[in-house]
Amino acid sequence: MKFVKLFFSLVLVIAALGGLGFLIQKTQAADGQKHLERLAALQNINDLDVALNRAMTLNRASSLQLQSDNKSEIITSLGDALDDIDSGDNSLRGLAPAIDKALDQFLATAGDKFVLAFDFDIRSSQIIQRLIRSADAVPLYINQSKNLVETGGNVDQLLSRLQTDAMAVIIATNPEERLLDGIQSQLVTLKASIAPDQLELAKSVDQLEFAIKSVMADKRELVERLDEFFDAPTAQDLNSLNDVYTQWHESRVSEAAEYRQYLVAYAVVLLLILAWLGLRLRRSFIELDKANETLESQVEERTRDLSHTLKELQNSQAQLIQSEKMASLGQMVAGVAHEINTPLGYARGNADIVKTSLAEVRTVTDQQSKALQMIANGAASEEAIAEALSMAIALDQDLATGELLDELDSLLGDTDHGLEQIAELVASLKDFSRVDRSRDDLFDVNKGIESALKIGQNHLKGNIQVKKVFGELPEIECSPSQLNQIFLNIITNAAQAIDVAGRDEGRIFIHTSPLNEGVSIRILDNGCGMSEETMAHIFEPFFTTKPVGKGTGLGMSIIYRIIEDHGGSIDVKSIEGKGSEFSVWLPLKQPDVATADDAVAAAA
Amino acid sequence: MSETEKARVLFVDDERRILTTMRMLFRGDYQMFFANSANEAIEFLKRETVDVVVSDQRMPGMTGVDLLREAKDLRPEAMRILLTGYSDLDAIIGSINEGEIFRFVNKPWDNKELKATVAQAVEASHTTREAIQLSRGESGEDGQAVSNLPATLVLDEDPSVAPAIQQMLGNQYRIVAATTIEGAIEIMEREAVGVVITDTRVQNQSVVSLLSTLKEHNPELISMVVTARADAGMAIELINQGQIYRFITKPLRETQTKITVASAINQHRRMARHKQLSRRYQVQKPVEPKPESPPLASGLLNRIRSLRRLVTG
Repeated sequence: MKFVKLFFSLVLVIAALGGLGFLIQKTQAADGQKHLERLAALQNINDLDVALNRAMTLNRASSLQLQSDNKSEIITSLGDALDDIDSGDNSLRGLAPAIDKALDQFLATAGDKFVLAFDFDIRSSQIIQRLIRSADAVPLYINQSKNLVETGGNVDQLLSRLQTDAMAVIIATNPEERLLDGIQSQLVTLKASIAPDQLELAKSVDQLEFAIKSVMADKRELVERLDEFFDAPTAQDLNSLNDVYTQWHESRVSEAAEYRQYLVAYAVVLLLILAWLGLRLRRSFIELDKANETLESQVEERTRDLSHTLKELQNSQAQLIQSEKMASLGQMVAGVAHEINTPLGYARGNADIVKTSLAEVRTVTDQQSKALQMIANGAASEEAIAEALSMAIALDQDLATGELLDELDSLLGDTDHGLEQIAELVASLKDFSRVDRSRDDLFDVNKGIESALKIGQNHLKGNIQVKKVFGELPEIECSPSQLNQIFLNIITNAAQAIDVAGRDEGRIFIHTSPLNEGVSIRILDNGCGMSEETMAHIFEPFFTTKPVGKGTGLGMSIIYRIIEDHGGSIDVKSIEGKGSEFSVWLPLKQPDVATADDAVAAAA
Repeated sequence: MSETEKARVLFVDDERRILTTMRMLFRGDYQMFFANSANEAIEFLKRETVDVVVSDQRMPGMTGVDLLREAKDLRPEAMRILLTGYSDLDAIIGSINEGEIFRFVNKPWDNKELKATVAQAVEASHTTREAIQLSRGESGEDGQAVSNLPATLVLDEDPSVAPAIQQMLGNQYRIVAATTIEGAIEIMEREAVGVVITDTRVQNQSVVSLLSTLKEHNPELISMVVTARADAGMAIELINQGQIYRFITKPLRETQTKITVASAINQHRRMARHKQLSRRYQVQKPVEPKPESPPLASGLLNRIRSLRRLVTG
């Protein structure tokens, strides 16, 4: 039970800690540092992209120069930066599907842009070289044509203007359409202004026109390529990647915030539980302290209670012993009263009968005396004497005086017997109680058994035969009334056992003999006997086999006590259904009379 | 009177000298039979009829109460007298409830009184022989409606006793209650009472003289004593002077109470039908009134006498 409880609380603690760990882990979902680094990486890419654009713009601005050194540096950095967010320290891959998608989009766009950049680098160097060549050819053909026309003339002015415009186109990063259109129309005007005979001039102008148109075409191609490069939506895609990422991060942050709230709540609950446990612990300690304080007084109180209970127990034991005494006394009185009242009954009845009968006999003797006196006196007549005599005879015959007197004699004999019986009983009672003797009296055990038999004869009537084999016993020092109680108790128990067994012929055998500086008394019966269990408990107080209310169960324990107090011993043997034997041994002399006396007095 | 016409009396005692005394005491008065043990007496009763059985209580083998219970079954017409040197309370109560004895006589006895008692018993037996044969085997029930049954009066200082008894008996019997002797008599003046259930003492006064007077004047009235204060001496008085029908010790048990009251009611109705039977339940006049139980006041006595009309009428 205790183990189960311990196991259960252990599981609870582990569960509580697990919950705490889970919540803490959830709140760590948004890593601020990482987030800043990633944002920085994105910003870096953006900066590099812008720088690349600027480099390209510069490229266009000075389309005649190659600034590929700076640009390639930027591209290298940009490539590293892209690798960084794709699979490096600040990788955004795998965070969320939306992020992956935006990342892929951006990387694809950036890749395209790189391709365009390389393409542009390769193409622009060819175009620019060609452009430079064409641009160099323009002033050449202008001058060649000018040489063929009149200075300050219409054609010359047209040529000058054309040269200026062509140079403007060459210099311009992105030449205006109007400028180009103007050049076209100037070329048309120029060609129209040339007379058909000026073949050389026409040839030179054609050459010029070719060079100018070539410049313009190359310029347009350059612009278109650049525009294409700039049109690559890296910034847009980067922005959207940034947005998606930021959005994801914010959601993570808000989720973490949510879990943080849970964590706080959970922590509060745990704290409350902890506080409660603490309070309980504190209270337990207080109680423990209190218990410690009161323990001593409690022990005192218990001790007082216990000694009180002990005293009560001793009292009730004494009371029980007393009531057992009274009960056996009552039993004895009942038996003795019946034993005395029966002879008393017939003795008294007989005396009364004799008294009444004597009155009747008196009438006969009176009549006889009267007749005899008449004869003696001689004064009476013969007739009178005869009458008196016949009356006396008649009375005598009526009463059958002779028989009556015989019967009265017999009644008086019975009466005498009854009175003798009563006298014997009274003497036995006196012997039995021995209140007139002290403890260290010398006592004839055989006589004690005889008086116990007399007192208990009420139990021994009918089918019980008592056989006595008394040895020559030395008188012993003892308390005679107590020993008589033992004998009466064992003998009446024997009689009851015979009654229980329902024997037709009950037998009690009593044997006494001197033995080892003392006397041995054996009392055997052929009663119902005892089981092993009964024998094991027979001398314990309150053990009884009699029905409730018929015995206190103290008789045998008191016997044991008395014999022990006398320094003697008692032993019991029994076969269930066959009978029992009680053997008592009592010493000749009491070892220490005074102490034994005290013990008996205390027991009473 | 020839020998055969003389009443037949059986004496039972394990002490032969008692039997000798009896033989001398009743010499010439009765046809006497003697048994030295209860078993011998039972064997005799199986063979012969007797008018009176006088038995000792303490005998080896079987007690007098057990013998008289047997005798009641074997020879119901025979009157039963217990003559004993000493009896404990259980034996006395047994002699009332089981032996239904006529008298309880203590040893040593007074010859005159014993002779008078036996004579009374013989006379009762003789005069009721026919009635007992008639009433024998009757259940006592005669189809009377419950409402016609006479009431049962409970006289007890404790007012909770009557309701308790009523509850045990159910509605079959009508219970009337009184807590004083005066109250009991008032009730009996008003209505027919067949059975009286009373404690041994009411208002610190023994009920012996009340029961004695009631029985004397209303022989059909059946009395039962229910008490927690059982006392051997008083129980003997209740037999001899009160002729109580049953003696029950508290606490009451339902089955016992039911059976006893039913039996008492039946007994009452049997006695009401066969009025001679009452001779079997004559009470003994107290030799001298005991100071502790003064005779009832003469006014009360007159009222009791006048009850007879009510009860028997």
